[in-house]
This record gives sequence, structure tokens and C-alpha cells, in this order.
Amino acid sequence: MNRLLILIFLFMASGTAAQQVQLEISHVVAGQPMQLRTATYTNAAGDTFNITLFKYYLSNFSLVTADGKKTALTPAYFLVNEDSVASKKILLSQCPEGEYTQLSFMIGVDSVLNFSGPQDGALDPLHGMFWTWNSGYIMAKLEGTSPSSRLPNHMLQFHIGGYRAPHVTQRMVTLTLPSPLRTGPQHKSQVVLQADAMAWFNGANQVSFRQMPGFMTPGTPADRIADNYQHMFSVKKIVNQ
Amino acid sequence: MFRKAAYILFAFCLWLWIVGRNRHALTAHSPAVEYYQLKLPDSLPPPVYDFKNNPLTKEGIALGRHLFYDPKLSVDSSISCGFCHQQFAAFGHFDHAISHGVLGRTGNRSVPALFNLIWQKDFMWDGGVNHLDIQPLTPITDENEMGMDLGVLIKRLQGNKTYRKLFKAAYGTEEVTSQRLFKALSQFVVTMISFESKYDSVMRREPGVTFTAEEQGGYRTFTQKCASCHKPPFFTDYSIRNNGLPYLPSMNDVGRMRITNNTADYLKFKVPSLRNVLVSAPYMHDGRFFDIFQVFAMYDHGQQKGNTIDPLVKNGIPLTEKEQRQLYMFLNTLTDKKFLSNKELSEVLITD
Repeated sequence: MNRLLILIFLFMASGTAAQQVQLEISHVVAGQPMQLRTATYTNAAGDTFNITLFKYYLSNFSLVTADGKKTALTPAYFLVNEDSVASKKILLSQCPEGEYTQLSFMIGVDSVLNFSGPQDGALDPLHGMFWTWNSGYIMAKLEGTSPSSRLPNHMLQFHIGGYRAPHVTQRMVTLTLPSPLRTGPQHKSQVVLQADAMAWFNGANQVSFRQMPGFMTPGTPADRIADNYQHMFSVKKIVNQ
Repeated sequence: MFRKAAYILFAFCLWLWIVGRNRHALTAHSPAVEYYQLKLPDSLPPPVYDFKNNPLTKEGIALGRHLFYDPKLSVDSSISCGFCHQQFAAFGHFDHAISHGVLGRTGNRSVPALFNLIWQKDFMWDGGVNHLDIQPLTPITDENEMGMDLGVLIKRLQGNKTYRKLFKAAYGTEEVTSQRLFKALSQFVVTMISFESKYDSVMRREPGVTFTAEEQGGYRTFTQKCASCHKPPFFTDYSIRNNGLPYLPSMNDVGRMRITNNTADYLKFKVPSLRNVLVSAPYMHDGRFFDIFQVFAMYDHGQQKGNTIDPLVKNGIPLTEKEQRQLYMFLNTLTDKKFLSNKELSEVLITD
């Protein structure tokens, strides 16, 4: 009988015994470290460009075990911004103890939060990632300049968003980890991720800045760029300490 | 067996107690607010607005009213919400075709009247804004309206003694956040309720109130020719349609298509309510008609019949001179004088 009681208590306590995983994200462009404003890059269409702003939302993290069991983590939203060192370190809390072979997450913000009124924290419209004239989050934003752009000051402005069918821009990313990730009280696990911004323009849907120096509404071009950047992430390292 | 069940029950009760205690800790700092119940006539459908996420309080409404009438919400402290949304014009902009903004700028659409917003599921002439609480973000940050950066605004309000007091009264702490700001504005604007017109009295069979013969005639015409889109009791079905209003190249406003990127939505705009219509001129999304008879004339013979014109009006709405006169008399019964002069909605003078 006492054992039953202990079991019940253990069950109740299990919610707090879960562990944390730290994600460290670095940004590159065609494999070179991203340098805002100063570095020049060239896309597959031959346009040279620089990047002045690069930020995006990550959410809906889950961990997958070798036998395919998927555990969704506590809902949390992160705005990753190249200009903020702190934003590139993400702490995933309440990860159940175990050994995982895949990490999956969403680039963007769930549809329901796009029409639920003002949010706070990372989702505060204060961060300039919410469209005012056409409600909804900008899931990912890349700005810069390119001599090929015909916009004023040769601007590049890609504000990718849209949550309503047919123009939906949230994308799920599933990454297979190079070695298993272990979580537990004795581990301080870390996943080192890299995002390559060139993927936005050099993916399956190639972008030429002469033809499209920007896109800032929901629509087919935004969907195609989201298809591109869905593949921008790679796992560099797993650290189980 | 019985003991086993008792243990489980005990553990469950313990768990409930722990959870309950946590919840108490969360609300321990809640302000001492006075909850406010909106007075709505019976027989209306349930509101779209979810009050559970923003329960009305006297303090919240007072804060919202202060914000609504405060020009500090604009970049040069010149234009408040109430500047364009005037109570005597049913919170539309009297005599102004298109919205005015800071530094003498103008927008490209007319100021919509504000009332009965809790039944509305989307906002703006093109329905581009999808929640009442997020609606103020648009005029506040639009460079042709209030031209304000949201971050700067939060700092400005945080630095103001009156606001620190008002936020504390409404939310328990002095902290100003965008979410608190937006929800407080909603608290005030949802109290703009208009169901006290002569039409409402007649429908409620209040003693001694009847339509005149002319009004009755207008009501008949309205029911036959207008009520499908301007559907009572709201006098709009909140839909977005192309009513045949000719396209103006100088404005180049494509309507709903700007939001959906769908050519089927070309020249579609929200059906406005006809309540208080005679005090909220000018009309149409671009305010091109200053007189309601111009609107009648447009439906009678002035439409432009493009591909996306609504099937309900594609053959026009023929209106004889008599019908137009009677319709005018009927629309006059939709003016809610109590609403237009409700002291709880009137401007507050802000000097600091």
C-alpha cells in the first residue's frame, strides 16, 4: 500500500524532474560566418548582397527517440536575432529524461496565435514581427542591400509570413542528430545548430534580386522562400556532459 | 480494495490542493478591481469578443478611455484616437473623406464609425485586422495616422505619473506593456454600444413609439432592398463585398485583394453598419459621398459592374424618388442620440 502511495507521489513529481537542453545557434551565409552590414555575399543568381537584419521565430520543439517516439516540449516561442547574442542561446526546459536521435521544431508561430490578439514576451508586437495592416506574424525576416535590387537604396526586404490557407508559411524542421542526445539529472546537454541564410535564395526555388528584391505580404513567393529556408538548419555538434 | 481507493482519493485531493495553492499564489497580486457588466439588450447573438481573456473592470475602462483621448499616443502628441473618432459622429470623423494623421499627412480610407464592435470578427475596410485587441496597433504605428513606434510609446507612458497610477489601478502594478495597453483600449471601445435608437424602441414595442407613415414606408423598402447585406439587428452582416462602387484610379484601392492576394477579392470592402448612418457621413471606404442621396443614386444607376460585383446588387437597386425619401426617413430612426451623448464615452481632457 505504501508503495502505491510512493508511486503516486513519484508520478506527481515527474513534471519537475525533467531536464534542460541548451541550443546554440550560429548563422552563416554559404558557409561563411554571417557578418551584418560589412560582409558581401553572392547568391546563385549572381547577385552580390549584404545582410543588415536577420531574425526568425522558432517554436514547437519536440524530441524523438530512436524508436520514433516523439515528445513535445512545453510550448515556448523564441525570436532568434543575429544582432542579439542572447537570442541565439535557447534553453529548452522540461525535457523528459531519455536518449534522443532527432530534434524537431517549427520555424514560425502557430496559426492560432496569429489571430488571438496581442501576445507578450517574444511574441510582443513590439519586436516588429507582427504585420499591422494584415494581422499575423512575420515568421522570418531578412533585410539587406544588393546592387541588383531596384528598390530605393537598393534594399532587400524579405518579410515572410502568412498563416491562412492557401498561403501558410510555418515550416516544420526535423534534424537527425549526429550522435544521441542524452537528457537526465547528470547531463548538461547541448545541441549546436547552424542556420545558413543563403538557403533562403539558393534552395529549390532560386531567387534573383533583380526580379524579386523583397516580398512583404502573404503570397506564393513567401511560401516558396519558406520552402527554401525550411532547409537552412544543420546540426554541428551534440554535447552530453 | 477500499483502502486502496481511499489512498488514491487522498493523493488526488492532495494534488488538487497543491494545484489550487499555486493558482492562489498567481493571483495574490491581482488588483482590487470593480468588475463591470456590459448592459446589452436580450435577443442579440452572443458576442464574438471573448471577455474571458479581458474581463471588463471600471479601472480598465477608465484607463482605456484615458488612452483613447490622449494625443501622446501619436509621435508629435498631436492626434489621439478620439481626434478622428468623434462621439457626435458615432465615433467616425465628421466631414472628413479620408483619415488625417500627424504632420498634416492623410491616409487613403475613411474613418469607420465605432460601435457594437464585440460582434465584429475582423476590422478595417478590408478586414485585414483579425482581432479587436490588436486593432489599435494599426492607427498607432501607421506613419500616415499616429506615426508612433510602439517601443517609444511604452516608454513614454511608463514615464508618465498619471499612467503609472492608472495602470496600477487596472492591473495591480505600474508596468506598461503593449498587451496591457491594447487590452485597456479594448475595454473602453467595447462599451461603445448602440441599441437605443427610435428603431430599437419601435422593435421593442415601447409604449407610445411608432414609425411615421414615411418611416414605415422606408422600413419596407429597406427590408426589401437593403437588409440582405445591412442585416438587422447590426445593420451589417460584417461581410466583405464589391457593391459596384466605381474604381478610382487616383486612389488605386484594390480592397480585400491587398490582404488575400486573391483576384476574386478585387474591390471588395466591408459592409458598414447603417446604425447612426446619417450622423457619420461621408460614405464609402474612401468617403467620396458626403450625402446619403449620392449613395442611393450610386445603387440606382451609378454602379461599375466588374467581375467581382456582388450577385445581390449586380442588377443595381432601383429606387424611386419616393423610396429614397422614405428610406432617408427610416435611416433617421437608426440614429441613437443616447449613444451620441453618453457621458461615459465622452472626451476626457488630458493636460500632462
